[in-house]
Amino acid sequence: MIPLPAAVCPQLVEALISLGGKPHSIHAGWFLISVANLVVIVLMIVAFLLALFLPFPRERDDE
Amino acid sequence: MSARPEPPSWTGRVRHAVFSAYPPEQLLPERQPAYVSSWIYVFGVLTLASLIAVVSSGIVLVIFGPAWWHVSSVGHFVNSLHLWSAEMFFFFMAVHLWGKFFMAAWRGGRALTWMAGSICFLASIATAFTGYLSQQNFDSQWISVQAKDGLNASGIGAYFNVLNTGQMLVWHVILLPLALILLVMAHILLVRRRGVCPPLPAKEPRSPVPENPDYPRSPDPAAEWTGAKRRYDLIKELVSALGVVVLAAVVLSTLFSSPDEKSVTVARWANANPTDFLTTAVAELDKTSGVATYGPPYTHTPGAGQTIVGSFSLARLVGVHIPIDTARDFVLAPLGIAAKSNPPLTTALASYGSASPAQRSAWTSAYAKALDGVSFSGGAPVVAPGNYGPVAPMMSDLLAQAQSGGLDGALIATSHFYQTDYTKPLLFLSDGAYLEGLAEKQNLLGSQWGMMNETGNYPGQAWLWGYAFWYQIRPFKTSDNADAQIWAIMGLLSLGLVLVPFLPGIRSLPRHLRVYRLIWRDYYRRAEATRE
Repeated sequence: MIPLPAAVCPQLVEALISLGGKPHSIHAGWFLISVANLVVIVLMIVAFLLALFLPFPRERDDE
Repeated sequence: MSARPEPPSWTGRVRHAVFSAYPPEQLLPERQPAYVSSWIYVFGVLTLASLIAVVSSGIVLVIFGPAWWHVSSVGHFVNSLHLWSAEMFFFFMAVHLWGKFFMAAWRGGRALTWMAGSICFLASIATAFTGYLSQQNFDSQWISVQAKDGLNASGIGAYFNVLNTGQMLVWHVILLPLALILLVMAHILLVRRRGVCPPLPAKEPRSPVPENPDYPRSPDPAAEWTGAKRRYDLIKELVSALGVVVLAAVVLSTLFSSPDEKSVTVARWANANPTDFLTTAVAELDKTSGVATYGPPYTHTPGAGQTIVGSFSLARLVGVHIPIDTARDFVLAPLGIAAKSNPPLTTALASYGSASPAQRSAWTSAYAKALDGVSFSGGAPVVAPGNYGPVAPMMSDLLAQAQSGGLDGALIATSHFYQTDYTKPLLFLSDGAYLEGLAEKQNLLGSQWGMMNETGNYPGQAWLWGYAFWYQIRPFKTSDNADAQIWAIMGLLSLGLVLVPFLPGIRSLPRHLRVYRLIWRDYYRRAEATRE
């Protein structure tokens, strides 16, 4: 185990924003999804759409 | 006198083959076709950068050993980096996969590139899965006891035992990463060999007009690109992506850390819910428990073992490879250890051993019924008077052994000093209601789409939604053979993903969906401009 000053250790283990505790989920009929997974899926779709619509930097010296 | 030419050596032949297929300027080009001008192209390199971050953080975890991150703050932080890098790896890989599908990027002899990429995706799922099993916490315990059913139903579980932590750890840190890295290298080399797939044909003009050779309207995906090119620094792109990924992993690890729900011991179970422990133990003793009647790969129970269609069962075909005798392994053998310093227990075990099967069954059945009204006095179970024979003192001693932590050791004890196989204690825990109750609170049950979820509010394995989905609908929701049937379906769907370039209808979808018009809009703008 690598020793570290006591003041530093807890900050490396404990999250600044705690994601522990009772899990939150969205439930509709047979469909159930955790909020965390929903956020990830929405972010993936957003990233895909941004990649489609954001203009890509143009090259000055296209051959 | 002329010297005879030397016959080509094996070394020379290999060098010639390598440099013919991959001349340096093709392997590391400084220019790319002009159509490579969309942000969608950066997700491939972001995936690669994330893989480098995953492997790097994983190497640090391997150096210090599997238990390090549970006891060291630095180790926990490195584990957080590993987790968030893996989350980003799947995130970017999924978007990369979507992009390549909508581009129909398998055209022009690139089917093998698509196949290698999709096998990378499947291998990544297997690698991440073994990573979850190797965490050595509650998450690993629950995932392993749940996942075993699918693997056992498909016959794989007899050889790939998810309850054997040592086996899973080796697969996670050596075999699967090695396979994944080789697959990724093959995928990248195929991309470099064939080049980036050109755009699908632009709209045909209403009247014949000359075409700009720099931006052909219907570029041949099988031919070498001779149109316009642009500067594209691949190494700079990779280094930049790596910087972004590492920075994001550090920020996410600092903000959210990583989950580490403490593992459940048999001692914790027996102290927290002694009635559930006793009920499970007596079912193991009379061989009526879930594990005792499981079938292959654990028991020779007639008719047991999930079927895919009719009576066809891969589990039965493979047979029993991890034999478990619940009475002997979970109850009698551990009590035998305690009996060495407990003469009354020795007598009780001898009495039980010499009794007829019918007599034993009568004792265990009576004791199981009596457990409905059990109370505890000084930690020892007290049941209504009845004819339980030696079963009552045996169960009382087993509970004491479990509560003291002795049963945890006895269940993994072998004739060898070292032990990494937790099949027996995990199977025993899985027969009780305690472990399942904890999992339900964390939304980890199959009926809660649990295989997608992580403990707490951490993102889990969102990429398993297509697998979790089948368990929510009929007939699988209520089928005794759901695992075998769903694994068969997922096997076919996975094969379908790999073979998309050859599937009529599916391979034409990108042309109909027309998302490619957005991806290559700059290219089409220029190609159309030549017609005006």
